[in-house]
Amino acid sequence: MIEGYIIHLLILIGVYIVLAVGLNLSIGFTGLLNLGHIAFFGIGAYTSAILQLAGVPFIISFFLAGVVASLFGLLLVVGTRNLKGDYFALATLGFSFVVYSVFLNWTQVTRGPLGIPGIPKPELFGLRIADNFSYLLFVTITVFFVVMFVWKLATSRYGKLLEAVRDDEIALRLLGKNTFKLKAQSMMVSAFCAGIAGSLFAHYITYIDPSSFFLSEIILVVTIVMIGGLASIRGSIFATVLILLIPEALRFVALPSSMIGPTRQIIYAVLLLCVLLLRPRGLFGKVDLE
Amino acid sequence: MIAVQLFVNGLIAGSIYALVASGFSLIYATNRFVHFAHGTTVTVGAYMLFTFFSLLGLNFFIAAFCTVVSTGLLGLLMFLLIYRPLKQRKSSNAILLVASIGLMIFLENLMLLLFGADVKTLAYIPVRKGIELWGAIITPLQIVIIATALLLLCFVWIFTKYTKLGKAMRAVADNEELAEIMGLNARAVQAKSFVLGSGIAGLASVLVVLEQNIEPVMGTGLIIKGFTGAIIGGISSLPGAVLGSYLLGIVENFGIWWLPSGYKDAIAFVLLFLFLLVRPSGILGISKGIKE
Repeated sequence: MIEGYIIHLLILIGVYIVLAVGLNLSIGFTGLLNLGHIAFFGIGAYTSAILQLAGVPFIISFFLAGVVASLFGLLLVVGTRNLKGDYFALATLGFSFVVYSVFLNWTQVTRGPLGIPGIPKPELFGLRIADNFSYLLFVTITVFFVVMFVWKLATSRYGKLLEAVRDDEIALRLLGKNTFKLKAQSMMVSAFCAGIAGSLFAHYITYIDPSSFFLSEIILVVTIVMIGGLASIRGSIFATVLILLIPEALRFVALPSSMIGPTRQIIYAVLLLCVLLLRPRGLFGKVDLE
Repeated sequence: MIAVQLFVNGLIAGSIYALVASGFSLIYATNRFVHFAHGTTVTVGAYMLFTFFSLLGLNFFIAAFCTVVSTGLLGLLMFLLIYRPLKQRKSSNAILLVASIGLMIFLENLMLLLFGADVKTLAYIPVRKGIELWGAIITPLQIVIIATALLLLCFVWIFTKYTKLGKAMRAVADNEELAEIMGLNARAVQAKSFVLGSGIAGLASVLVVLEQNIEPVMGTGLIIKGFTGAIIGGISSLPGAVLGSYLLGIVENFGIWWLPSGYKDAIAFVLLFLFLLVRPSGILGISKGIKE
């Protein structure tokens, strides 16, 4: 019983690590205050679920989830290329709302508020990942590859260019770099991570509906990234574990179940405000968000 | 005749949006950041009115007055506790936006905890049969809403145009540093515009509650609309925000002629998107639209 619970928590933590590390690439390293991340997560989840139910093999729908999400990432960057700072943030927030209402209303494909039930557990090379323990293994491998990839990317020369976009875009342009291309690439990689995180989430929970991809979830991921610290992958991983475990304590307090959800949201919001007010760099952050 | 009905519906929706947008725009003009929790101020106002009127049994007008005072206080508290410290540390607008979304989630869930998820109604004015006006059905209550909103908006406009505080607000909105050099206390003016803007949100909540149900999540929809209206019209200009809100109300209601009504919120965002891309300074063209 208790092992099952811990495995469940670890799987969720793994999914959110992929999500948060991806978001940190766009917010932390490239300085794009991207509030559309949860939409990419949702797009990934729906893409993967729909393809899989249509009979596409898991490994293909898993990657397509990332690819489709990153195409939308490209679309978003192209659409918002003239916007900066809070206007960019608002446009991406708007993107999240639009995607949410498409999930809710495009009933022929997404079944609207009913959601998509019965998403099969994945099958890899003839091996069915049926129980949670092997799913945890699969998630761990994915997390490892994603974190290694983002880490390699961030510490490479290319990563330095991304950080330069954040720190001084005009200077970088003067040096003859195409900053728009850098932003687009960073956003696409970031959205790809969100997309495969969505796929991991959908196939684990086996049921998705639009409410998993709404505003409150954006706050959760943004809080994780802010608390962990901008441009710190270590920070994001640590903060994911911390943030997902804190509300679990609520289970052991005698709260009625209808109060757990709001209390959890309040905790996240207060944590976010505290971090912004008291320690804007987060726990391991290297930079303040300009 | 369906067009007339949609137009009237648009006017009713637009009146509510305009009230939200004008408070939002007052705050934005002097503070220069997006106070996204403004919609939740309306939600808190609605629950305040519910508390004063339905739970404590006060006279409706006294309850409405108390609501406006408490939302004004809420605005002041948000400014003093969250925004002012952040501004003093010279945080960017993007950080202030994230903080305001945090505030919004906080207040929304606080209301959910305190009052529960079930829908509340005030039932102050009983539902009456609508009257027919050029083929459109409109209830007396809706006429009251439109008239009150227009009256309030005129009042706010006169206030910013002719009173001393209104002039100080416009000075700070125009150029904060210059206003300070001339001896205005910009921080105090910003705090006052928070009180005033949130007070207007309180008035908006009184009108909303007369017609709609009270729910914890009602503020999110309202701020999206109010904010979009403000952007469309020119975010830091009061007449612009009002104009944009009415436009949004009408476009939205005509939009659901073709689209499923669930897309109503998406229409607002698509419009917002288009304006941000094509004309970020809004219809009335305030050139400070794009700011870092």
